[in-house]
Amino acid sequence: MGLRLLIFACCYLKLMTFSFYIPANALKSKGPIGAGLVQASHSLHTSSKSLAPVPALPEKGGQVRHGIIPEELFQLLYPKTGVTGPYMLGTGLLCYLLSKEIYIINHETLSAASIGAVVIYAIKKFGPSVAAFADKLNEEKVLNAQAVKDVALVGLSQAIEEEKKEQWRAEGRSMLFDAKRNNVAMLLETNFRERIHMVTNEVKKRLDYQIAVQNLNRQMEQEHMVNWVEKSVVGSITPLQEKESIAKCISDLKALARAKASLAV
Amino acid sequence: MTLSLFDQFSSPSFLGIPMILMALALPWLLIPTPTSRWLSNRVVSLQGWFIARFTNQLFLPLNVGGHKWAPLLASLMMFLLTLNMLGLMPYIFTPTTQLSLNLGLAVPLWLATVLIGMRNQPTHALGHFLPEGTPTTLIPILIIIETISLFIRPLALGVRLTANLTAGHLLIHLISSAVFVLMPMMPAVAILTAVLLLLLTMLEVAVAMIQAYVFILLLSLYLQENV
Repeated sequence: MGLRLLIFACCYLKLMTFSFYIPANALKSKGPIGAGLVQASHSLHTSSKSLAPVPALPEKGGQVRHGIIPEELFQLLYPKTGVTGPYMLGTGLLCYLLSKEIYIINHETLSAASIGAVVIYAIKKFGPSVAAFADKLNEEKVLNAQAVKDVALVGLSQAIEEEKKEQWRAEGRSMLFDAKRNNVAMLLETNFRERIHMVTNEVKKRLDYQIAVQNLNRQMEQEHMVNWVEKSVVGSITPLQEKESIAKCISDLKALARAKASLAV
Repeated sequence: MTLSLFDQFSSPSFLGIPMILMALALPWLLIPTPTSRWLSNRVVSLQGWFIARFTNQLFLPLNVGGHKWAPLLASLMMFLLTLNMLGLMPYIFTPTTQLSLNLGLAVPLWLATVLIGMRNQPTHALGHFLPEGTPTTLIPILIIIETISLFIRPLALGVRLTANLTAGHLLIHLISSAVFVLMPMMPAVAILTAVLLLLLTMLEVAVAMIQAYVFILLLSLYLQENV
């Protein structure tokens, strides 16, 4: 019954936080359920204040002694009552509750003991491995991000190397241009010489033609003159002269024949 | 004495205010809110991992249309799990021992799956009334049986959860009462009974988790048939 009253009271307080802004710090100190109230009081975003960068999480969670009693209680009581203070408080409280029959031992106590035993056993046995698993989840996230970062770094350093190579190549560009310039000059030279040759050949052909024409002219003149001389000589031979020359030729031939016959004998 | 055994299941009210609303709403405080951090503390990481894994596993056989139900079923799972597990503590009221609550969860969700099936693919949904390969003579009887089976489903869902949890709590109550009564008289028997109580408590922890899971699993199966 008392517990239900407590639950009702904290619910009432929780309902209040929806209508008023209560700073988280004030709520955190509100007793053992303060931590829960912090979550309940996520307030409206009334200002444009940025939430980043997020403040770092504390290194360790809240320190507890014997599993549920916060260390702060012990620190609170230490100045006045020393080390055994909280234990005396606990024992006295328990004795008070039992003797005044505010809390009665009944079957629920035994079921509480049994479920307590099960819970404590489970936490002791599986607690460290579950915590390690949770830590591994976070570490895997970090490793994945780190892997991405590493790949990016490797890629970028490779890009730097390649850029340096490109710069070295760029330095050798002037040699390349000289070679190309030489090539072009040679080409031009070759072309020039070819054209000179062509011009020479053409001119020679023209001159040869002129020579040939002159030669032809002279030849034709010569032939024409010879023909004209022959014609005039043949024309000047009269028939009388022709008969005389033929008779002379016959008499010469006869004389030759007689000479040859006499020789042959 | 007989009356007080079932007193633990009466819906609590204080000054006329029904406290079951508090019992239903306050376990929400125990579930941490995921922060906007990239790396958070262990509890939030574990919770995120668990919910992601569970939802992935549950929705593997469902087609994409059924994935709309993922937030509903995942949050319902967390709800039922928290209620059941918290109810094992002493003096804590378990809302899921109330048939009204369980039927209130089962009937609307089951009805939603049936209506979705009837609306989107009525032929396919009605086809479930006749499994493949039934002999012709059995068809009329089988259709009647399948219809009854369909309408029994929400009742079964609700009553299963109620009965399991109620029975478990009742047993714990009885056996711890037995130990309490036997302790001054026959301590040895009381110790044996206490060992039994311990085993029963472990069983009840398992049952609490399994019953919540079975509720959600069956709903996802009904959804799979119809979506």
